[in-house]
Amino acid sequence: MKAQNKANGAPKMKHRNETVWSWLFMLPTMIFLGVTALLPLLYSVYLSFFKYKINLPNAVPTFNGLGNYIKMFTDKTLAVSTGNTVLFAVISVALELVIGIIVAMVLCSDMLWAKICTTILLIPMIMAPVAIGTTWRMMLDGTTGIINYLLSFLGIPSINWLSNPKYAMPAVIFVNVWQLVPWVAIIGAAGLKALPADCFEAARIDGAKNSQIFAKIVLPMISPLLVIITMLRFVDAFKVFDTVYTMTNGGPGTATEMLPNYIYKQGLKFFDAGYTAALAVMFVLIMTVVTLIFLKLRKFVEEKVA
Amino acid sequence: MRKKKEKEVSVMDDVIGNFAGRPARVIIVAITMIAIIFPLYWLVTSSFKVKADYLANPPVIFPHRFTLESFRQVLQMNGLLNQFINSFIVAAVSTAISLVFGSMAAYSVARGRFHKTVRGAFGLWFMVQKMYPAIATAIPIYLVMRNLHLIDTRTALIIMNTSFNLPLVIWLMMGFFEQVPLEMEESAKIDGATFLQKFFKVVFPVTKPGLVAAGILAFIGAWNEFLFAVILSINKSKTLPVVIAGFITDRGLEWGPMAATSVITLIPVLILVLLAQKQFVQGLAMGAVKG
Repeated sequence: MKAQNKANGAPKMKHRNETVWSWLFMLPTMIFLGVTALLPLLYSVYLSFFKYKINLPNAVPTFNGLGNYIKMFTDKTLAVSTGNTVLFAVISVALELVIGIIVAMVLCSDMLWAKICTTILLIPMIMAPVAIGTTWRMMLDGTTGIINYLLSFLGIPSINWLSNPKYAMPAVIFVNVWQLVPWVAIIGAAGLKALPADCFEAARIDGAKNSQIFAKIVLPMISPLLVIITMLRFVDAFKVFDTVYTMTNGGPGTATEMLPNYIYKQGLKFFDAGYTAALAVMFVLIMTVVTLIFLKLRKFVEEKVA
Repeated sequence: MRKKKEKEVSVMDDVIGNFAGRPARVIIVAITMIAIIFPLYWLVTSSFKVKADYLANPPVIFPHRFTLESFRQVLQMNGLLNQFINSFIVAAVSTAISLVFGSMAAYSVARGRFHKTVRGAFGLWFMVQKMYPAIATAIPIYLVMRNLHLIDTRTALIIMNTSFNLPLVIWLMMGFFEQVPLEMEESAKIDGATFLQKFFKVVFPVTKPGLVAAGILAFIGAWNEFLFAVILSINKSKTLPVVIAGFITDRGLEWGPMAATSVITLIPVLILVLLAQKQFVQGLAMGAVKG
């Protein structure tokens, strides 16, 4: 009773105190992210209007107006990279989603074997993407690679996976699928296990087949989760860098050149800070639009299910 | 009660697991497991192969000559221990900082006293921060670090990894804090607990599993981070992923030492995840549901 009186006695003070503490708790993060993320992003916007070669010791930024942005329209490699990025993202995410959900479904069991398989699934997720890229590069090697050797038993002639423009992109997509199917499967399995089992029981008593239960009950119920998985994967696929860098570095030619790798090259190989900044700004804008579209889609699906 | 639970599980197991029939299920599981395990088998055996074997054509699938030569080469000649320590310090320190700052911010957003708009704005900021491409700030960060003479230092990498991990930790911890029943906090408040006391004495103890989950995800993220590690390090502050990538760009075809370095890089995070698999999976699922 006494404590309650005390709390009621000074509610205003108490609220103000809480507000102050809330802001104080937020402050370290605000400062940290402000300095390491927001300001650099603004600096990128600023630099995008300048000509600035950062490999020259005494170079100073000179104003260039919209020059860097205009340059984008005549940059053929940029057009190719953008197309590649979209192609890569769409195909790899589609494959990851379908395969990942199938794997999640077949592993939907509480038996020991399923637990062991789940543990194995975690490994590609925790492996450094760089190591994944180099390991597959070793395995896909044209002469000493194990993949060509195994394929030779099927009568398939030796393929230079990473140095043939026709096969490099499928190879990079394949490795991304290998890397991220486990992620989709683990998240998908968590979602499937949370579904109410009595629904299935009831449907089964009514004589529904497993495939019908899947199409009519399971799929609609997990569709909001599928949208989220697609969104996270799609945004992530746009940012692919480590595996591309180690497997092909964009080559052969521009066959697997994608935006992050291209931006990296402009900045740290050609040292064109202004143009890099303009590309970065454009990239952020694209990503924002993609994210917004997915957020809308997610809202739409969630409302439809609810 | 227990019996009912078992029955539920078996229904799920059958309806969802056998959606395409039992034989198909066995085949799919087998193919998936082989597809995952074979590259790992190849990586591990390559690290123990003699040079003639890892460069052999046709490739040697079942080696019968084993050597530690590749490990000796990377550890003794290339001084991989230094880079291992770099990776560990960068990952551990950035994880610690982002856990402290991140859980404070997350608690503030989840349960602090903010105007609705302010709360929403913070939520949006941290989500955008999680999505935006790191490459967008690469050049400005490089220039600033160069001016501050922080290129090739662990400090620079710790700062950047903390920056990447903060939104992740905040986002996960927000989910965990929101699960704490409001009544628990209300009753503590009635007993006269201040904001700080509520955070440390009431909420913190019950969200420890969440903290472990966020910590593991942050550590693995920083341990494997490559883009900024390669931009900001020249020699002294190189981390393990930079060394692995270096085998491709600098030397080429040194599959043995490359595989040995990859194995050394994988082992610590593998142990970490095996020790706390439950929290790791929980963290992944939470991240997606919240995302």
